Amino acid sequence: MSFVWTIAEQYEGQLRGVSFELLSRGRALADELGTKLASVVIGDGVDEKALEELIHRGADEVYSIQDPRLKDFVCETYSRILTDLVETYQPAIILAAATSSGRTLMPYVAIKVNTGLTADCTELAIEEGTGNLLQTRPAIGGNIMATIKTPDHRPQMSTVRPKSSRPLPRDTSRTGKIVEVPVEDRYIDDRVHVLGYRRDEEEFANIEEADFVVAGGKGMKKADNFVMLKKMADHFGGEVGASRDAVDRGWIAYPHQIGLSGKTISPRLYIGAGVSGSIQHLAGIKTSETIVAINSDPDAPILKVADFGIVGDLFQVVPELQRRLDEKNTEAT
Amino acid sequence: MNIVVPIKQVPETSNVKMDPEKGTMIRDGVESVINPLDLYAIEAALRLKEEHGGTVTAMTMGPPPAELAVRQAIAMGCEAGILVSDRKFGGSDTWATSYTLAQAIRKVGEVDLIITGERATDGDTAQVGPGIAAWLDLPLATYIAHITGVTTERITVERLVEEGYQLLDVPFPCVITVVKEIASPRLPTLAGKKRSKTQDIPLYNADNMELDPASLGLKGSPTKVVKIATPKVARGGKVVSAAGETGVMHAVDELMKFLDEKELV
Amino acid sequence: MATKAPPKQKYNTVTAKIVGELRRIAGERNVIVDKDRMEAYSHDETNAEEYGHMPEVVVLPTTTEQVAEIVKLANREMVPITPRGAGSGLSGGAIPDHGGILLTVERMNRMVELDIDNMVIVVEAGMVTNDLAQMVQEKKLFFAGYPMSLQSCYIGGNIAENAGGGKAVKYGVTGRYIQGLELVTPTGEVLWLGGKISKDVSGYDLKQLVVGSEGTLGIVTKAIIKLIGLPSASSDLLVLFKTAREAIDVVPTIMAKGIVPTSIEFMDQLSVQTSCAYLNESLPYQEAGAMLLLEVDGTNADQVEADLIAIGDLCEQHGAMEVYVAEDTTTKERIWSVRRNIAEAFKVYSPIQSLEDIVVPIASIPDVIPELDRLSEKYGMKIPCYGHAGDGNLHATLVKDPEMDMKTWHENEAKCLRELYALTTRLGGKISGEHGIGIKRKNYLKEVANPIELKLMEGIKRAWDPNNIMNPGKLFDLS
Repeated sequence: MSFVWTIAEQYEGQLRGVSFELLSRGRALADELGTKLASVVIGDGVDEKALEELIHRGADEVYSIQDPRLKDFVCETYSRILTDLVETYQPAIILAAATSSGRTLMPYVAIKVNTGLTADCTELAIEEGTGNLLQTRPAIGGNIMATIKTPDHRPQMSTVRPKSSRPLPRDTSRTGKIVEVPVEDRYIDDRVHVLGYRRDEEEFANIEEADFVVAGGKGMKKADNFVMLKKMADHFGGEVGASRDAVDRGWIAYPHQIGLSGKTISPRLYIGAGVSGSIQHLAGIKTSETIVAINSDPDAPILKVADFGIVGDLFQVVPELQRRLDEKNTEAT
Repeated sequence: MNIVVPIKQVPETSNVKMDPEKGTMIRDGVESVINPLDLYAIEAALRLKEEHGGTVTAMTMGPPPAELAVRQAIAMGCEAGILVSDRKFGGSDTWATSYTLAQAIRKVGEVDLIITGERATDGDTAQVGPGIAAWLDLPLATYIAHITGVTTERITVERLVEEGYQLLDVPFPCVITVVKEIASPRLPTLAGKKRSKTQDIPLYNADNMELDPASLGLKGSPTKVVKIATPKVARGGKVVSAAGETGVMHAVDELMKFLDEKELV
Repeated sequence: MATKAPPKQKYNTVTAKIVGELRRIAGERNVIVDKDRMEAYSHDETNAEEYGHMPEVVVLPTTTEQVAEIVKLANREMVPITPRGAGSGLSGGAIPDHGGILLTVERMNRMVELDIDNMVIVVEAGMVTNDLAQMVQEKKLFFAGYPMSLQSCYIGGNIAENAGGGKAVKYGVTGRYIQGLELVTPTGEVLWLGGKISKDVSGYDLKQLVVGSEGTLGIVTKAIIKLIGLPSASSDLLVLFKTAREAIDVVPTIMAKGIVPTSIEFMDQLSVQTSCAYLNESLPYQEAGAMLLLEVDGTNADQVEADLIAIGDLCEQHGAMEVYVAEDTTTKERIWSVRRNIAEAFKVYSPIQSLEDIVVPIASIPDVIPELDRLSEKYGMKIPCYGHAGDGNLHATLVKDPEMDMKTWHENEAKCLRELYALTTRLGGKISGEHGIGIKRKNYLKEVANPIELKLMEGIKRAWDPNNIMNPGKLFDLS
């Protein structure tokens, strides 16, 4: 029986959390199909312990392809490796993260191995009788959920958003096989050169993987006012998000943008201040665990999807909330 | 530099209305617009052309009325437009779409750069740009936020990733997909509008393109939609008023209690 | 020198007995005496600190009969009564500035009848205009008197102020679409004025007298509203000009061609720059001295396109720096947001403003602009000027310098308005085109209006409201 695969992601030798989230999805599918679950690690410097962790978190096998030349994600090179592996091992299903690299590599590979791919699946199940993978994903701004299958092509490929599932509890009694796949020169596509990385702390935010997001909208009135959201986000150890209105006005940089033309987020807590909640923005926050909204307009659409809403002046409510959070902190210490 | 920008016509989403019974989008009276994220691709292409010379060709695949999207792109400043349209293309998934578009780009001839938007706001897959690159076996750079340098041979770009920006140096010909940070799109002008009205838009169809009939449309698509459902969105949460001085205190009290119960503070 | 307001007329206060009567009429739950809850009814969109005033009681009737009984009660007891819609007014017209009873029509928001054969809709006064517009739009019909107002405004308020808005160049103001009214007079009688008819010279046109009377001649409880076919196509142009003069000069040229745009919105340099900077708009607005935003609509897409191009050509011939076209929603939203965000952009700079809506003959608009610059300099405030160029209706807005102290601001605001209104009058204009006089401008009206005209108005008021209990102190104080 063909395996279920997940693509583990690494950056600078560290496995990303999403790699373990994918295993919990993959485990359920493999069990349902009565097959094994394998995880593929392409990169450099991922140590034995980290590879074992993949087994402790649900994998039966790990294919490790490591080489200094694979340190950075380069689509063409990674694609050659994965294509080769797929042709060799013929997996039934491949799950990858809907991250910048997953969303680049998977569509490239899907063409190369001649199969279909479904992006941003929120639900994965096995169809009774056929054993086909049923992939459910939101479309049209989350207004519909479409269930898609790939009946006649293999593997069946899906990407899954980070934070949309939890890793399985660590089970150190689990054992599995780690397969070191040798790197061949023909894998290396040297057309694209990685020159390095640039990170601007001010502008940058990884809101997709944050557990807490404090977002501001048009009601923030100006760039300076985002300072108070930053303070609150820092309090929670989270990130500052923003609506399109706020980003378009230049109050905050694009990596912070939530919604149809920005990022889809799934934090434990989303707080929206002065965000009215356009259809586009709501599409980006619907998968948040808890939604809190502060808005002066009692008819703001965001209040309809909020778990807790405050109708009031954010310039009074936010500082008061901050004061209370600080107070609670002092009490605790 | 010859640039092709594949664009998509999508339903205007700011006023999407759903049929609550059928769970489908009410398409009656819904306007079709250029995918808003494709406007950034058009702008990036126009700026490269203005700085380095060349032409920008807007290409769209869709039913005949999608020609309007191409005309709108011309009104913004694109030199040429191509409509890729045939009944046989109907129902294409991203695999079949990227195949058909890749073949259309081959038909155009010498192309140095293909720029697409990050994704379309209706399908939201972000798969067609990378798919085109794979079919044409071209280098691919996705989520490009800045173009930092261009030589006759190569282009250097900044790719928005989880850790910041990945700096890439990519040879022509290649495919890049761009994000909103790349540039603010220009508005169509009257002069452009007039030009777009008279511009000839060639039609690429199944008869004049080199295509494998088994790879087209619904039949050629590996993925099949089996069910459409409408998710419930309302959470029916609590809403409190923070009017007046005591109102703010009271509202924040309630919120703290709520966050406490959810173990979020 | 500021003229002293005459002493307020002696009215009776609202006693427990009157509250009891109101409860009997409107029902226990439809009478509010709780201060916290009444606070929301003490102001409109004007500055609450300056113009706000608490009512003694708020009543929320649900039928015309209840309204009539309440008015009779007020008239008998000599208690002032102030009618109120959504409270989105900009002149203090719905503020109970003599206390007394505040009567809100918010619970009278039903559609009575949609009569497609007669192309009318009959609604109660508390119907949200936006809801009304959407309701008829679903039937491919159009309420063309829809103002460019807050989404919350009521049809009753639109009638009371004869609201204008962005589409008035082609479609006119609210009053044009009001075919009939159900009115409760200040003495508590109920009657219909007009009807499902479009012509009527059977005596004085009392219906049109009520439209725009700011609730001083009675309470409108229902209205028969004329509908037209919904325009199926529309397109916009955003045109950059070097100077305000060039921008305005093109307007009569367009009209003379026989093209009637739906909107002709004007924005002066300060408005454009503040709004574009606030929006982070990448248009080359820095060099523009003024912008025009024009809309054409119709039922024939080819005609709309032809009009669009014809107007664009005229603008280019008249020295436009650049003509942008918007034919899809994405682009339309983007260019309209420049216009719609002017007020908001200035609020970020300084929330204390005096939003004006002077109206002058179109050709005089360029004469207003340098005067505004002069007044701005003289009184130390910003005065952006934008608005409905096609109607000569300008929102010259006095914006307080955040550094200026409140006392100086109040003094300068009054002096500046006085000069602005004098200028407006000199140019053959009026001090309010669509917001109304209310309490905000009544002292100024007295200064600029023809005394004979004022006397006639006062005479009408006395004839309709012998005890002066219906929204007293609005438009003018009875001498």
